[in-house]
Amino acid sequence: MIRIFPSLRLTSLLSAAKPLCSSSPAKKPPQYTSLTESKSSRPTKSLSITPKTPLYLRTPSHATSLSEVWKWHDWAKDLASSVEESSKNSEDTLDSVILHRELKWLIEDSIVDDPLVILHRSEIADNGEKNVKLRASLEELYDLWRQRIEKRRPFQYVVGCEHWRDLVLCVEEGVLIPRPETELIVDMVEELVTRDEWFKKDIWADLGTGSGAIAIGIAKVLGSRGRVIATDLSPVAIAVAGHNVQRYSLEGMIEVREGSWFEPLKDLEGKLVGLVSNPPYIPSDDIPGLQAEVGRHEPKLALDGGIDGTDSLFHLCHGASRMLQPGGFFVFETNGEKQSKMIVDYMMTSDLKDCFSDLKIVSDFAGINRFVTGFRL
Amino acid sequence: MAIMAVAALFHARFPLLLRRSIPLLSAPTSVIYNHRTLLSDGLSTRLCSILRYSSSDGVNGGSSGGDFGNDNDSVSVVSDVQSPNYLKFTDEELMKQCRLETFRVSGPGGQHRNKRDSAVRLKHLPTGIVAQAVEDRSQHKNRASALNRLRTLLAIKVRNKVDIEAYAPPPELLQILPPKSTIRTSSGSQIGPNNPKFVPGMQALLDVISASDGSIADSAKLLGLSTGGLSRLILSHDGLRMAVNSMRAAKGIKPLK
Repeated sequence: MIRIFPSLRLTSLLSAAKPLCSSSPAKKPPQYTSLTESKSSRPTKSLSITPKTPLYLRTPSHATSLSEVWKWHDWAKDLASSVEESSKNSEDTLDSVILHRELKWLIEDSIVDDPLVILHRSEIADNGEKNVKLRASLEELYDLWRQRIEKRRPFQYVVGCEHWRDLVLCVEEGVLIPRPETELIVDMVEELVTRDEWFKKDIWADLGTGSGAIAIGIAKVLGSRGRVIATDLSPVAIAVAGHNVQRYSLEGMIEVREGSWFEPLKDLEGKLVGLVSNPPYIPSDDIPGLQAEVGRHEPKLALDGGIDGTDSLFHLCHGASRMLQPGGFFVFETNGEKQSKMIVDYMMTSDLKDCFSDLKIVSDFAGINRFVTGFRL
Repeated sequence: MAIMAVAALFHARFPLLLRRSIPLLSAPTSVIYNHRTLLSDGLSTRLCSILRYSSSDGVNGGSSGGDFGNDNDSVSVVSDVQSPNYLKFTDEELMKQCRLETFRVSGPGGQHRNKRDSAVRLKHLPTGIVAQAVEDRSQHKNRASALNRLRTLLAIKVRNKVDIEAYAPPPELLQILPPKSTIRTSSGSQIGPNNPKFVPGMQALLDVISASDGSIADSAKLLGLSTGGLSRLILSHDGLRMAVNSMRAAKGIKPLK
């Protein structure tokens, strides 16, 4: 069953949040920690991992005749069309409409000359003798498309990147593919820092950064003074996030640190002005039934949140009380509905009950209560 | 109505929607200007298909035509003398007038799913005009594409009253006119149909043609152009051509080709 949700506008949701008075005596003047110092004392263990180059950035070294490429395209289209109705389980079937769209993107990423020579074949006088330059050999393109359909390899791993907000982020096996919902975290931060400059003056942290998506999005909305620390337990994620940070020339603003949650942030207790995370939040029992692209290919480490899916979220709640400075903001992504309510209840009743103000549940574009936000008292 | 056309489109894309979408889609709160019927629904559905499939999405483009055409009886004219010129608003201001909707398969979403169904639908609340985008790779870009389409639809559907007796063309119209026009004051180069700045000029042009009851010859005189020169300008943009032909059809004048 498919639903349509009118989405609530973020603006109205957040502007209802606590008025932020920059004259609050509780706020300390910004304290800059020397990022370079802590970096040098913490050697990165992940230097040995070299992130893969996404298809669209590879050298176009494969000259191939147009007719051969057309043959591949016909084959790929037929394969994409043949997947319909292969299973009754509507949550886990390939959708040929989406596959055809992905095929178009695969062509955009792999052919250098105008992709229209492939897509608009009938309008081209050429009989296919012309050569085009490809960023992957034709054999590899056959193989990649077979992996997409037969192995259910996520499209983003096939091409090695995901378009997210206005960014193109490198992704590969071992790193969670950033989801469209998560784009909203950056929108919320953008709205907050636009409304109150105080939030631009100190350090933000993105925990379990994966590809580095949120950290990069936030660094861009913070502007030149922004400072973000991105952490992850996975060495592959650390390598990929570092690579993405570099590709956007944000090394001066984002520092990537390897380690579990707050462990690499010991030098910043009570100093963060913002804390964001999209932690693993899927209940363990749901993991075996996940869509094949997710369950078979994406890292369990980034998905499995324990029995209720809340293990990491509760840990983050406690960390937020310790790490945020008074007035500091946090936003966590959750599994939605029940789980976001559990988190808010927990923060209002446990020993954390006097730590936060203006706890809020913010829904995503599909109307699911996806995020929990609040401020450190 | 246009919104039904959009629904029809989604039925094609997400067939399961058929079961439930109709009651969930509310009718547009269009301001209907009764004296003139400028756009038949046939036009708006065809326009939708052009606007939706301006990219080279061969698979979907091929099937779009058949999804429409069942609701030719309604009128989707939006016009109001007092309405502000929405095209002058910035993207941000325009966005604030819109309700943002997305379509997605039910279920938990988030980390559970990998589906590039980041379709975005913008409903412009003051006019009820709906624009959407689905073909881009990020929701962010789909939002930008939908906003561009909304601007084109606003230009085509919202008519402002023009006083023909004392007509002074606005600068946004002057810059889309060919250099030959005798009313062009600057010698700046002509803005073509692929430039976003063409859209406000197109709106002003449609206002003139509408005030001239669809007559190309009369409009051309006001704009210092030959009839042929104005025709060529109109034919350079599919949406513009269809809007003009729809106006002419309503007046019983034969279409431009």
